[in-house]
Amino acid sequence: MPESYIPLAAGLAIGLGAIGPGIGIGYGVGKAMESIGRNPEISGTILVPMLIGLGLAEAVAIYALVIAFLLVGRI
Amino acid sequence: MEHISIEATVLFYVGPLPVTNSIFSAWVTMVVLVIGSILATRRMQLVPTGLQNFAEYVVELLLGVCETTAGPRGRQFLPWVATAFLFILFSNWMGLLPGYGDTPWLRSANSDLNITASMAIIVFFLVQGWAIKTQGPARYLKEFVVPNPLHLLSELSRPLSLAFRLFGNIFAGEVLLATMAALIPLAVPAVFFGLEVFVGIVQALIFSMLTLVFLTIATAQHGGEAHH
Repeated sequence: MPESYIPLAAGLAIGLGAIGPGIGIGYGVGKAMESIGRNPEISGTILVPMLIGLGLAEAVAIYALVIAFLLVGRI
Repeated sequence: MEHISIEATVLFYVGPLPVTNSIFSAWVTMVVLVIGSILATRRMQLVPTGLQNFAEYVVELLLGVCETTAGPRGRQFLPWVATAFLFILFSNWMGLLPGYGDTPWLRSANSDLNITASMAIIVFFLVQGWAIKTQGPARYLKEFVVPNPLHLLSELSRPLSLAFRLFGNIFAGEVLLATMAALIPLAVPAVFFGLEVFVGIVQALIFSMLTLVFLTIATAQHGGEAHH
């Protein structure tokens, strides 16, 4: 009986797990856009730190995805 | 649709050790990088042209980033950071070529948790080693107690996150490409290949930049550096 909850658990894992990173990435990119708006010359300098920050935020969503995969693969 | 498994398929055994298709792909990447380096450094000229010129451009770019982030010690971090960056970049991009994923012999190297985890573990020991070498054993051990008692936890969480971030991105990319190709076999998967090209270089950048940042933090001399 508990096994029938696995697809639900996997769906919830990635679904809920993507909320936080989604908000975080949107916020981060928004701030980057804002700073480019204030100072257009800086767009090259901002790009790399922004991408690194986004990678860190996205990693959290990836953790949730890995859990979903493990659930579907029946750990 | 064929089942995509997290575990890579074993090709053959060397004694007791299995060699998987992801390990084989990693070897192919290594061969490409080594041959490329040999070709770029044969008959080197003072004023570079062609492949040597391009190779020098890449190295100078990476050296610039290392020295901007880590200061003068960045030059010593360059081999590690550049190797991580180039290996991950070439593995990711070569993983998009025909043959990777649909034939059983080749599989994008970083889509196997074993390979990303081993790189992350190497980075962990590398960072600890550099910390001990520059701070001395006494200050290194003191770090685990004094300002931040959770220092050990944060140090252990780094290789975990490095491994899973790279694995998750690349493996999920493989699943995405396979799914899209199965769903709409014409034209649309090209968009996702483009996405994977972008993800490939971004993840290579993130892994190597994080390695550089961890090394910089570990070797930072607190207060009173003799500079310039």
